[in-house]
Amino acid sequence: MMKKSFGFLFIVLILASCSSEDYESISYDNPDLVLDIPIDFPALNNAVHSNRPTKYGVELGDRLFHEKKFSTNNTISCATCHAQENAFADNNSQAIGIEGRIGLRNVPPIQNLAFMKFYNWDGSKLQLESQTIVPIITHEEMDSSILEVIEKLQGDAVYKDLFQKAFGDSEITPDRIYKSIAQYEYTLISANSKYDRVKKQQGETFTAIESQGYQVFQQKCASCHSTPLFTDQSFRNIGFPLNPDSNEAGRARVTGVSSDYMRFRVPSLRNVAETAPYGSFGQFATLDAVLDYMSDSVLDAPNLDPIFKENGNKINLTAEEKFQLIAFMKTLSDDQFLGR
Amino acid sequence: MKNLKKYLLLTTVLIAFTSCSTDDNSPVANDVNLVFENTFGSTPIVLGGETSATATTTTSSAGQIHHFSELKYVISNIRLVKGDGTEVLYHINDLDRGATVIDQSKVSSLNYVMSTIPAGEYTQIKFGLGIKQELNTLDQFRFPDFYAAAGANDTQMMWEWGTGYRFTKIEGFYGADNNVLSIHSGSTVEGEEGVESSYTQGVDAYREIVLDLSTSAIVGGKSPKITIKADFNMLLSGQSNTIELGSGNAVPSVHTAVNMVKFVDNIGGNGTTDQKGMFSITSVTN
Repeated sequence: MMKKSFGFLFIVLILASCSSEDYESISYDNPDLVLDIPIDFPALNNAVHSNRPTKYGVELGDRLFHEKKFSTNNTISCATCHAQENAFADNNSQAIGIEGRIGLRNVPPIQNLAFMKFYNWDGSKLQLESQTIVPIITHEEMDSSILEVIEKLQGDAVYKDLFQKAFGDSEITPDRIYKSIAQYEYTLISANSKYDRVKKQQGETFTAIESQGYQVFQQKCASCHSTPLFTDQSFRNIGFPLNPDSNEAGRARVTGVSSDYMRFRVPSLRNVAETAPYGSFGQFATLDAVLDYMSDSVLDAPNLDPIFKENGNKINLTAEEKFQLIAFMKTLSDDQFLGR
Repeated sequence: MKNLKKYLLLTTVLIAFTSCSTDDNSPVANDVNLVFENTFGSTPIVLGGETSATATTTTSSAGQIHHFSELKYVISNIRLVKGDGTEVLYHINDLDRGATVIDQSKVSSLNYVMSTIPAGEYTQIKFGLGIKQELNTLDQFRFPDFYAAAGANDTQMMWEWGTGYRFTKIEGFYGADNNVLSIHSGSTVEGEEGVESSYTQGVDAYREIVLDLSTSAIVGGKSPKITIKADFNMLLSGQSNTIELGSGNAVPSVHTAVNMVKFVDNIGGNGTTDQKGMFSITSVTN
């Protein structure tokens, strides 16, 4: 009798070792989050539909976003360069990675990304899920690798629990990391600035100068900084001083189209007062400096944007108009979003 | 009865074991050695620094003398074709087992051994210069070995920003003043992996190479050696483009993807009328 049982057990073990079937995961309650989509915002990036933010996916993504183990020497996290008080950007000209290494470009703010069609200043990525790996492996940023990161996260009980809650089991995979960070970023929506509240006509109003600035903005800026995102998401060469780094070619590096040389994505102006310096590698310390440069004379180029080209390589702005514009741009700061 | 049960048990165990093992019924198998000879014309390339006296130099159609200090490229998606057209696929979807970095500075990398090739008479070889789009994602999770090899400090065959591998990396000097030459290629395609119709932006730098074997490679009992020449004279003086190096294209800063394609078409063919690029078969030894 005893022997028989052993035999049976033996068979069961063998059969079990053959199957690679997933075991039944423990049921978990992880509801989709309802994204609060502002009125008139453009359509969501399609990737959002196949990676809907969930309660625990976002919680996990938030934690990972602030996790220094992503860098090879455990010194920086995503949030180091993407700081909330700067609309998830920072105040350096160019990104600063581990050991003070200087990156190629200015840190882009992380806001309203769920509504963007292109990511990075050259639009190299079309969905956030495939962007996450870039800073992890880039020498000038975190200089790590995804397996190195996973190894460091494994064994951490908090992560075990969060992966379990977010994805049904506690396995840490590259895809789950990319997805949860993207989910978190999808929830970073800025649409509660003074501008938004004035637009909603809930009692708040522009000051006289802000109102004049808004007029100037509509006449001289809104053809590129359009839509409620304040960018038309096009790529333009507007004759800013060129980055001498040998890796810079603007969008042409991605597309292989000559006319894309030194073209960059039109930046959103939301929270723009919080994200100095400006330009693809932080050429300008202040908004005043940007406006002075544009109203003076920008660099000529065969593919200089027609709006500049047809206007003597500049945008005419008086000192007063600049003052008004900056007052208006400050109404695009969203205190709630900035964590103030 | 007791015996019967015993036999039943034994049978079950055997069946269980059998179902576990993966079948390995491949016919008589053997190695095929691919030997890569990197040349300028018929002269083997010797690498060298800016003022090297030993480096092999060559002069382009445009009259520019040049030499290399670094020369690397990726080969993957290797297929051997039999006389009747049957293709033997060599781990074409597994970069760890089916892709390699050819590095002129590492002699061992110039001899790539393909193992357990089914016996037969092969008349053609196909391979990719670079990595096909659906595998070109820097996926360390799937292919840790190739990721490590390509990403090694002395290899640097990755484009982190484009989350893809470098397909070629050529460093060197050109002209009487030894100006810096730095030609890198790789794909920047975005879209659904492997579905060409979904590609929305970017450049596909992967090139399919098709070479007829001068003598059939006979696998089975012996290990044939296929010697493949990569003539880097084609880089600047290729079938597709005659390229004069200058401040606009010699270094990545300004060669951008626009100029990159010209180099790629020269060494990897244009994908339509030219599927050889710089490659040819020197010999097949059985």
